[in-house]
Amino acid sequence: MIPFLAAAPLWRTIPQPPAVQVLVAVGGVALIAAELWWFLGRHGSGVAAAEGEQGVQEITITVEGGYSPSRIRAKAGRPLRLRFHRTDPSGCVAQVIFPDFHRSLELPLGATTSIELLPDHPGVYPFHCGMNMVRGSLEVE
Amino acid sequence: MGTAPVSACCHSEDPAASVLGMERELARERTLLRRRLAVAAVLTGLVMLASLPHMLGGVHLSWLPPWFTSPWSQMLLSSPVLFWCGREFFTGAAAAFRRHSADMNTLVAAGTGIAWLASLVATLFPGVLTAEGLPADVYYETAAVILTLVLLGRLLEARARGQTSEAIRRLLQLQPPTARVIRDGVASSIPVSTVVVGDLLQVRPGEKLPLDGVVEEGSSWVEEAMLTGEPTPVAKGPGDPVIGASMNRSGSFTFRVTRVGGDTVLARIVELVRQAQSSRTQVQRLADQVVGWFVPVVIAIAIAAYVLWFLFSGNGVLAMLFLVSVLVIACPCALGLATPTAIMVASGKGAENGLIFRSAEALETAGQLRTIVLDKTGTLTRGLPEVTDFERLPGGVLPDLTLLALVAAVEDRSEHPLAEAIVAYAHRRGADVDPPAVEAFEARAGRGLQASVDGKEVRVGSPRWLAEAGMDTTDLDPLVDRLERAARSVAVVVVDGLIEACFGIADPIKPEARSAVAALRRLGLEVVLLSGDARRTAELVGAEVGIVRVIAEVRPGDKATVVRQLQEQRTGPVAMVGDGVNDAPALAQADVGLAMGTGTDVAIAASDITLLSGHLGGVPAAIELSRRTMATIRQNLFFAFAYNVAGIPIAAGLLFPLTGWLLSPMLAGAAMAFSSVSVVTNALRLRRFRPTPLPMEVPA
Repeated sequence: MIPFLAAAPLWRTIPQPPAVQVLVAVGGVALIAAELWWFLGRHGSGVAAAEGEQGVQEITITVEGGYSPSRIRAKAGRPLRLRFHRTDPSGCVAQVIFPDFHRSLELPLGATTSIELLPDHPGVYPFHCGMNMVRGSLEVE
Repeated sequence: MGTAPVSACCHSEDPAASVLGMERELARERTLLRRRLAVAAVLTGLVMLASLPHMLGGVHLSWLPPWFTSPWSQMLLSSPVLFWCGREFFTGAAAAFRRHSADMNTLVAAGTGIAWLASLVATLFPGVLTAEGLPADVYYETAAVILTLVLLGRLLEARARGQTSEAIRRLLQLQPPTARVIRDGVASSIPVSTVVVGDLLQVRPGEKLPLDGVVEEGSSWVEEAMLTGEPTPVAKGPGDPVIGASMNRSGSFTFRVTRVGGDTVLARIVELVRQAQSSRTQVQRLADQVVGWFVPVVIAIAIAAYVLWFLFSGNGVLAMLFLVSVLVIACPCALGLATPTAIMVASGKGAENGLIFRSAEALETAGQLRTIVLDKTGTLTRGLPEVTDFERLPGGVLPDLTLLALVAAVEDRSEHPLAEAIVAYAHRRGADVDPPAVEAFEARAGRGLQASVDGKEVRVGSPRWLAEAGMDTTDLDPLVDRLERAARSVAVVVVDGLIEACFGIADPIKPEARSAVAALRRLGLEVVLLSGDARRTAELVGAEVGIVRVIAEVRPGDKATVVRQLQEQRTGPVAMVGDGVNDAPALAQADVGLAMGTGTDVAIAASDITLLSGHLGGVPAAIELSRRTMATIRQNLFFAFAYNVAGIPIAAGLLFPLTGWLLSPMLAGAAMAFSSVSVVTNALRLRRFRPTPLPMEVPA
């Protein structure tokens, strides 16, 4: 069991002055609040797809540890071309899946690959990598 | 099944290229992981050796030189493990952090990084800790072991994920790389990719067909099992369609190419399977939502654990170990992988058995079915009427073949399915097929045909018509009654006012229909027969195949309405099985529409599931596969949730006050690495799926 347990001297308790205790508690709560705000809070609105030729909406998304931008705004009823530029070597992001469209796209490393979708109805359509860890969303209005 | 909220633009790229590209990518990742894992394993082994005295509780091991066990050497050995072998965890976490997201990398990087940094402080400023009454212990080995285990988990998982697409890879490998093309009368072997539509290809015995086409010359038996699941070889002669990747048995033939590249049946099957694999189930939507806030919440729990343990013990090092344990035990990957891996394996497995699922939702709904509606014509029956009885009447005078030749001459003028059946029967019996002169041809809707052939007055039609004409049907009546009782359509032949014979015509029931219905009932489904026939005929067919609930006399346009009524009456989803052409509205109305294919026709748009072979055994097989898949998904999600729900509190030290147990951060890292591997491995069990064989003997 020894390797699974911390070594014996660690069990000891050490009296800490109340000031330190308060400092750690307040610091911890503040850190939790900051972390939750950073990861879960809303930070700006999505990036709108640009108007391209022949009414096609276009946007380029960089794949590097995530999708940048990850929230994309587009208009309903018009084709939307997403260009993915992948610089992240992790195999996880080699595929991007649009579950509501039943479409997927393989992204070769260091290249730009594009997919064309036709969002008919307004709504939020998520997309994610093959392992569902890296995520983004299309906000169709 | 609800329609997708959005439609995808059409495209017909060759799926082979992108699938194989993906394969190469995964293989490259595995090689990279293997190399890094090897380096990490060696260095981690050394770090563990160096920390052995500390792990054993501070004993002195004389065979280890002091410089080797010093914190400095441990730092030097562990740094490459973290920052070279595992650098992508850190770069990935940093990139994700910048865009306000947190994932697996965040947890691994934070967990190992904190252990390493705390050790660095103990190495550089041991006085700070000893002043507090703490030993200046270092945990480099903890950081290195966790990282190595996570890398190992990644490698195993990447290997397992490669296997989930095995079925697709095997499908793609069905296509031979070269084709024997005949151009300007000369046969030569060329790469399949250079063949164009209209080329004439030669196929020799034992060869695979490279592409789709139509037989031009020669004949053979062709095995389509690998594509359609159809178990018996199919006879092919001039004019018959053939599909690429099927296997030619004994004969040689040439065929004209009709489809190449992304348009072939094989390419379309692969594309449909990939579309299904790109969709998600309803249960996955829940898991997706959890994954979204999972990592930030775990980080919050880890910080809270640190604070509480610090307040409880005042021991910052102990609290740090709890913090690291919580970070590295949590595994959002298992949640994210639970469903997609199972769908990947199942849709590939389905394709291997000739079952094409259009979406993950189709798999999901088919697994919950309670009621299944089978269309009669073309589903339970072959869809092509055949003459089953040819009965002569006592008053008849003409020889059989003469009579058949006369009848065939008249019926040949009609395109009615019953007429085609009679002509085919006459040919089969060897009647003279040279059409005698037919004059004064007349077709009476719902009655029959009449004409003058070789000066003879010939009438072929329903018994009712003769009765209306005032003929004496005393001899005929018992015969007609017997045939109609056996669900035959009856056509009576009258030549020059004399009743010569009558035909019993039926759409033969597929030989496997009875056992397939039995298999469906064994799966606990209520089976309903839907037919446009008269009630008595439909009930006879129902009795023959073992279906009690028969809905008869339904016009084609009303089939969808019947399905809707069943949906309102029954609890649980309702499936409809049809031929996909005439039943399209009913298939679309049903919660799951199953279309019986004809081998070459993959493009059955209205269906959620396509059975490529048209063999009824595919229906219970599809439902079985769906149930197995959903069971696997539920197991995976349960395991992933349970693992995290149980593991995180244990890592946070919840059991410590009760039992004195403290989970080592290394063990937490091992648990995490293997939880995602076990989810993928569980999904891979679906590869062993074999449909239960249909029952051989079904008692009436």
